[in-house]
Amino acid sequence: MRRGRWLPAMSAALAIAACSNSPYPSSDDGIKVRYIPLGEAPKTLDPAVSYSALDHAIIANVYDTLLEYHYLERPYTLIPGLAEAVPEAQRRADGRVAYHFRVRPGMRFERDPCFAPDAPEPTDREIVASDFAFALMRIADPTVISPVVATFSKVVGFEEFAKRLVARRDADPNFAAQHIDRQYAAAGGIDGLIVHGRYELEVVLREPYPQLLYWFAMPFTAPVPWEAIAYYDGDGGRPFFKEHPVASGPFRLARYEKHSRIVLERNPNWYGALHPEWRAPGAIYPSDGEPGDAEKGLLQPEYVGRPLPFLDRIEFRLDKEDIASFNKFLQGYYDASGIIQESFDRAVQNGGLSPAMAARGMSLAKSVEPAIFYIGFNMKDPVVGASGGDRARKLRQAMSLAVDAVEFKRIFNNGRDVPAMSPIPPGIFGYDESYTNPYRKLDPDRARALLAEAGYPGGIDPKTRRPLHLTFDAGSPDTRSRLRYEFFIDEWRGIGIDVELAAQNYNAFQEKVRRGAYQIYMWGWIADYPDPENFLFLLWGPNANAVNPGAPNTSNFADPRFDALFLAMKNMPNGPERMQIIAEMRAILERERPWIELLHSESYALYHGWLHNVKPAGLSLPTGKYGDVDPELRRERREQWNRPIVWPAWALVAAFALVVTPGIVTFFRERQ
Amino acid sequence: MLAYAVRRLAYGFLVVLGVLGLLFALFFVYADPHDMARRAVGEKASPGVLDDWIKQHGYDRPKLEQLRDHYWKMLTFDFGRSDLDDVPIARRLREGAGPSLVFTVPAFAIGLLLAIQLSLFVAYFRDSYIDRTILLIAVLEMSVSILLYIIGGQFLIGKILNWFPISGFDPDPALIPRFIAMPVLIYSLAGVGGDVRFYRTVFIEEMNRDYVRTARAKGAGDGRVMLRHVLRNSMIPILTNVVTAIPFLFMGSLLIESFFGIPGLGAVTVDAVQANDFSTLRVVVYIDALLFIVFQIVTDFTYTLADPRVRFE
Repeated sequence: MRRGRWLPAMSAALAIAACSNSPYPSSDDGIKVRYIPLGEAPKTLDPAVSYSALDHAIIANVYDTLLEYHYLERPYTLIPGLAEAVPEAQRRADGRVAYHFRVRPGMRFERDPCFAPDAPEPTDREIVASDFAFALMRIADPTVISPVVATFSKVVGFEEFAKRLVARRDADPNFAAQHIDRQYAAAGGIDGLIVHGRYELEVVLREPYPQLLYWFAMPFTAPVPWEAIAYYDGDGGRPFFKEHPVASGPFRLARYEKHSRIVLERNPNWYGALHPEWRAPGAIYPSDGEPGDAEKGLLQPEYVGRPLPFLDRIEFRLDKEDIASFNKFLQGYYDASGIIQESFDRAVQNGGLSPAMAARGMSLAKSVEPAIFYIGFNMKDPVVGASGGDRARKLRQAMSLAVDAVEFKRIFNNGRDVPAMSPIPPGIFGYDESYTNPYRKLDPDRARALLAEAGYPGGIDPKTRRPLHLTFDAGSPDTRSRLRYEFFIDEWRGIGIDVELAAQNYNAFQEKVRRGAYQIYMWGWIADYPDPENFLFLLWGPNANAVNPGAPNTSNFADPRFDALFLAMKNMPNGPERMQIIAEMRAILERERPWIELLHSESYALYHGWLHNVKPAGLSLPTGKYGDVDPELRRERREQWNRPIVWPAWALVAAFALVVTPGIVTFFRERQ
Repeated sequence: MLAYAVRRLAYGFLVVLGVLGLLFALFFVYADPHDMARRAVGEKASPGVLDDWIKQHGYDRPKLEQLRDHYWKMLTFDFGRSDLDDVPIARRLREGAGPSLVFTVPAFAIGLLLAIQLSLFVAYFRDSYIDRTILLIAVLEMSVSILLYIIGGQFLIGKILNWFPISGFDPDPALIPRFIAMPVLIYSLAGVGGDVRFYRTVFIEEMNRDYVRTARAKGAGDGRVMLRHVLRNSMIPILTNVVTAIPFLFMGSLLIESFFGIPGLGAVTVDAVQANDFSTLRVVVYIDALLFIVFQIVTDFTYTLADPRVRFE
């Protein structure tokens, strides 16, 4: 009887003893798997549509592109991927520019039922030039809703193709029921995409746009088999194409449980695996990088020149809560992690790794992202804009001198981020470390003097005899964001200007910007590709939002000299001449102050000691194939860090018995 | 009884129509489709692409046409596709129902059994220090936000004691118990305090009735009195509590699923709110309302099972 009474308690204790906080099956312990947390579920895996860093973290490992970025070199350099070489622009007499890509013969898509739906086993087929043309035609197709239509509209006949396609579909409902490749062929294709034979693709642009090559290193232009689009339509229990990539990258999608886990495994059909003898630059670990890479262990002899990939599997696990995700990293269940604000001081001390983290064998990597955050002035506004002439210019200069970005990042970003002196961030050609913008340092005295010169002595507007009243529009009304905006308002108040905050939801803010109904606003930009053009075009006159609604120059800045320099700079190769032009453009911005440049965001990442060859990148690179893990060391550390502590369960049972037993005994004694 | 059932169903139908009208006003009149488009396509998409998205999703049509379509689709259970990722909403609900039920059903069952047992226990030992101690613990327990249990549980059980994963979910049957253990523990314990107080009151009221005294006078033992007589005669309030809780089992728990990364229907709701995915949100709210109304009616009918004296008028 007594033994029987103890049975449930013993079972409970055994159950707890058998428990584990590991989120993975023990069978994974010895396998080279990289575990990566995802903050939210991916929206789409369709390369023509996906435009978020999160989606690209997955599909950049699945879809290979004609070109790719050198993994280690900075500034970023293009290398051949599925193409045999990076093409040169060929200028034509009519002003058009052509690029000839030669696709490597002998590459194959991954094996998939879509290629032969009735075959007993999945089959594959060779990747040919027309697959790249098909991918670009999908971008033009309005039903695909690709966000990069505007970029590829520079291809000759791109927009015309879309119009013909829509007209044919509207005119004949049976047309839309045809296979997608037949529809595209019947619509006449895109004039500027010419396929020569099986392996040659010629892309003709209406005007010079050297930055186009960067787009061929992004998943948008990855080859897509038309068979996959036709087969994966969501009918008959088949998934949609956006959930089932059929690609040619180093990894293939093995499991897609979108809201819990996404598993990639090695693709045996990847060209690096099929043709190791090519020793293609995108298929072997690089032998050179930027200065300091060797010291960081990124050029270890055991990896240099070895065929990729090193990992067997990549697992993405959905972990929406930052704190839970970070704690799982500390337990060893994720291999790398960003640093949450709550634990920043625990992980980073004096700008370096804390002793506690170092003792766990971790390393810290810092990288500046190709991004800029800024406060902008609406140059169409009569008070702060261009029509205000010298008076408004001095007002903008004064307001710029009052904003202390260093203090801002100290208070709100744990000291992370790099104060911005110009729109161009570190790592992008045109960034000059030695350059200091005289209007981007805190100098309240000079700000007050400039305000007085602008006709606002002490910040007082002579018309109203009260502090100059301005409005600061922002697209996030939550308390956390308001605190940030208030920081700037306080600083401007310090020089006597009364700035009113108009924080609204992002949609209302966008609408205000579209209508030009704002004076001062705050925004940011993350680059698509590593070229100064992708930052300076934000201030190019013809891109002014007031002229071209939806265009990216939301400050409506227009300066004839700046615009002319931009046109010269954008078509130029990197070199001293381009640098000189950028310096002149920078000087115009310095004087005119359409923006108060704030920060270039800086990411801090922690890596466990068993993770190798990881270099942070601000762009969507196919990083998975370069990384490696030491599963044995990881298993040992996990065991050491995660031993279950069982005694509290016993203590709880004992405490309950101690409280209840005397009461029961007393109760029955009294009753008797 | 039939007339009563028809009347209740008719009232329920009117409520559903009202709910649908409110949903349309909130999600498709007040909200701007450009915001939805931007969330779906991306911040950098040009205005032309946003307009294509709006057209493709039918948000450019006259509001009256959209209203008619909204009612027809919801009443015929044609839920359409998500505004965020264009995946069929019905499929997402089917995928989410499993993970929700896999932790809410055991959690609810454990919580209910624990609450009833504890209530019978404290009712039996009423006015003793056991009664007062457990009641005090129950009041303290119900006064604390579930958020604290979740964060505290993750910290203590997942991080310090290393018993279960801090969060996550794996549909592999061998791993499911490991992932749901902590959510089940928290979900079941979080509601026990309030239930113990409620059921204790019900049981004590029954224990003071004449038939209990008669049973004791006839020599019935404590166990028989408590389980056969008191518990049985307290079934109506228990049933009301249980049946009205069932819809919430289907719809999962917003907070627990979010914090523990369980891809259930609660997480669907949270994701839809965060992403302005109104087409999904309206379906979730609509189903929630439907289930609530249906189970309210079911509750009325279960009274006859618990107490044959109950008649419908």
